[in-house]
Amino acid sequence: MSLTGAHCHPTSHLSAHSDLAGDGTLVALVGNANTGKSTLFNQLSGARASVGNWPGTTVEVGTATWRVPLADGSTRSLALMDLPGAASLSPVSPDEQVTHDLLVQAPADERPDVVVAVLDASNLGRDLFLLSQLREQPQRLVVALTMNDVAARRGLTVDAAALSRMAGVPVVAVDPRRRSGVVGLADAVSQAVERPAPAPRARVLGLPEPDDPFAADDDRFAWVQQVLDDVVRTEHDRVSWTDRVDRWATAPVIGPLLFAGAMYLVFQLTIAGAAPLQDWLDGWVAGPVSDAAVSLLSALGLAGGVIESFLVDGLIAGVGTLLTFVPLMAIMFALLAIMESSGYLARAAVVTDRAMRAIGLPGRAFLPLIVGFGCNVPAISAIRVLPDARQRLLTALLVPFTACAARLPVVVLIGAVFFGANAGNVVFGMYLLSIALVIGVGLLLRVTLWRGLRPTPMVIDLPPYHLPLPKQVGLDTWARVRSFLRSAGTIIVVVVIAVWALSAIPAPGADEPIGEVPVEDSLYGATAQAISPVFEPAGFGDWKATSALMVGFLAKEAVISSWAQTYAAEEPEDPAEPGDLSASLRADFERSSGGHTTAAVFAFLTFLVAYTPCVATLGAQRREIGTRWMLASVGISTGTAWVLAVLVFQVGRLIT
Amino acid sequence: MTLDQVPVGSAARLTDTSLHPSTRRLAELGLRPGADVAVLRRISGGGRLIGLGVARMALDKPTTTSLHVEVSL
Repeated sequence: MSLTGAHCHPTSHLSAHSDLAGDGTLVALVGNANTGKSTLFNQLSGARASVGNWPGTTVEVGTATWRVPLADGSTRSLALMDLPGAASLSPVSPDEQVTHDLLVQAPADERPDVVVAVLDASNLGRDLFLLSQLREQPQRLVVALTMNDVAARRGLTVDAAALSRMAGVPVVAVDPRRRSGVVGLADAVSQAVERPAPAPRARVLGLPEPDDPFAADDDRFAWVQQVLDDVVRTEHDRVSWTDRVDRWATAPVIGPLLFAGAMYLVFQLTIAGAAPLQDWLDGWVAGPVSDAAVSLLSALGLAGGVIESFLVDGLIAGVGTLLTFVPLMAIMFALLAIMESSGYLARAAVVTDRAMRAIGLPGRAFLPLIVGFGCNVPAISAIRVLPDARQRLLTALLVPFTACAARLPVVVLIGAVFFGANAGNVVFGMYLLSIALVIGVGLLLRVTLWRGLRPTPMVIDLPPYHLPLPKQVGLDTWARVRSFLRSAGTIIVVVVIAVWALSAIPAPGADEPIGEVPVEDSLYGATAQAISPVFEPAGFGDWKATSALMVGFLAKEAVISSWAQTYAAEEPEDPAEPGDLSASLRADFERSSGGHTTAAVFAFLTFLVAYTPCVATLGAQRREIGTRWMLASVGISTGTAWVLAVLVFQVGRLIT
Repeated sequence: MTLDQVPVGSAARLTDTSLHPSTRRLAELGLRPGADVAVLRRISGGGRLIGLGVARMALDKPTTTSLHVEVSL
């Protein structure tokens, strides 16, 4: 079952559970963040999990088939769902809304058949409230008690039998990190399925239901306290190594420095670590794969002409573009999984909280924005570290304004052509502009679209540190890479093919055959010519500049090769030494700006830094925030870029 | 007094959490009137790292100033 299609109605895949994986029985995992819920999900589902957004939302839900061994030796296949982290059934975020809708709002026959409440044995004070609400629902309920080893290390003993008695539901101690208890959980769940759904359990036995929700909460808190008193025994309170690490990780000055170091590592591993693999994949697709396709075509007698051009420059190039992002995404996903499961992410959120609050985002938003300066595509995926869907959306709209590494060579080239020795200052200016854009657009969106979005004061639960398990990290990474390929893949390949088609088809009036037209006579050139007047107020209303920006939509690096192609100049080996390109570029900018070259160049650079980075970023956005918000992002980025470019040129024209 | 005035290393009992904008969420996390918290450390940004039983939580300055406490003996 796939949840990635944001177009279908939430209930369409739940109705009567008929189109679910397995035998149609739905088991949902519910629990707080950091309870080991997703680790348990991965453990139960093996490598068969898929991750996608809940239809119509940016809330991520995992689905899988869970093969449960039965007493007679056969297996039963259940549909397993990993719901987003929820602290209670009283939703305060879109993520908790999904859990609430499915468990409380949905008609009885669309609810899960069994709810597995995942509770952290070392933090029952936090998790029991959710259980107190769940047990009031007329629902088959099983408790999976995780983190028992952590509880033991903290000097706690949890009496599972007593908890089971007091809550009136089966309780199974599981350790998903070490596979113990999984069989017991499978037994408890398959037994629960056979029983009729229970009536709602009374909050406090023998007392009438209070109408006042606050009184109801008071009853629940009283129940939680009673369970804590009877079920949890604290033997000793010792200083754990988590406490010792936190002395540094959350400390003033040292904490932010450690975070800066961690971010540097993430940045380097993602960008530098993926580069050789990307180059290799790029060369492999452009070399052996394309060659093989060409020789196959010649063997079939179809060499040369449109078919070869489509296959090599359209389809294979498109799939190649997609493939080169896979190493980057895999590394990013793996690092995210490690930071999250190790517990460090919560500390990072603490030390960055105050700085990010200025633009209305919590500390965690720092991570995607920093990664964005390397590459926007994994940065968009990193928004999932944010616990609130509105914050994820706002961050996903801001990431494209971070100046990724691919914009750098273009800025360096323009800097070298027009400013010579001062090119370094131009690059520095690009980064300043980029930071200003993130802050400025962030503030603007917050006073317009998200007027209500104000981060509540910070209260962050700090889970104990764990060593991440390689297998879990691998499974998590694999599920996400698959999901990226599925949803971002289509759009990347389609756009690359569309650009190929436009540049292969001659514009009306051109006499060259399809596939052999020079760029200026193709539909692509004609489109650039048609669009270029839009940039006249910005001083670069020239079809070659427009065409370069259009190619930049595919990939920013391609701007340079596009210029080289249209000016029929040698593509410079080093963008800092542009050679032949210089004179032609200078002449064109001088002409289009009516003599105000410097103003036009600054306007062009501004546009380049601010507009939609590339089609792969759009692909990632579609995966995270859906097609509509992806299009909105294009509008916001390109609109901002145009307005600022016009402003820069018009003001610059007056003072130069 | 409020939680930010409790010296690091001391314990305190929450008396009133209603000034905080998300009182309910605090309560769900276990920060309810009557709960004993230990102020463990000053953290980056001016907040406090607190212990609630064996759980550890980071609270920022606005949160600590909104929680009324009495210092336990």
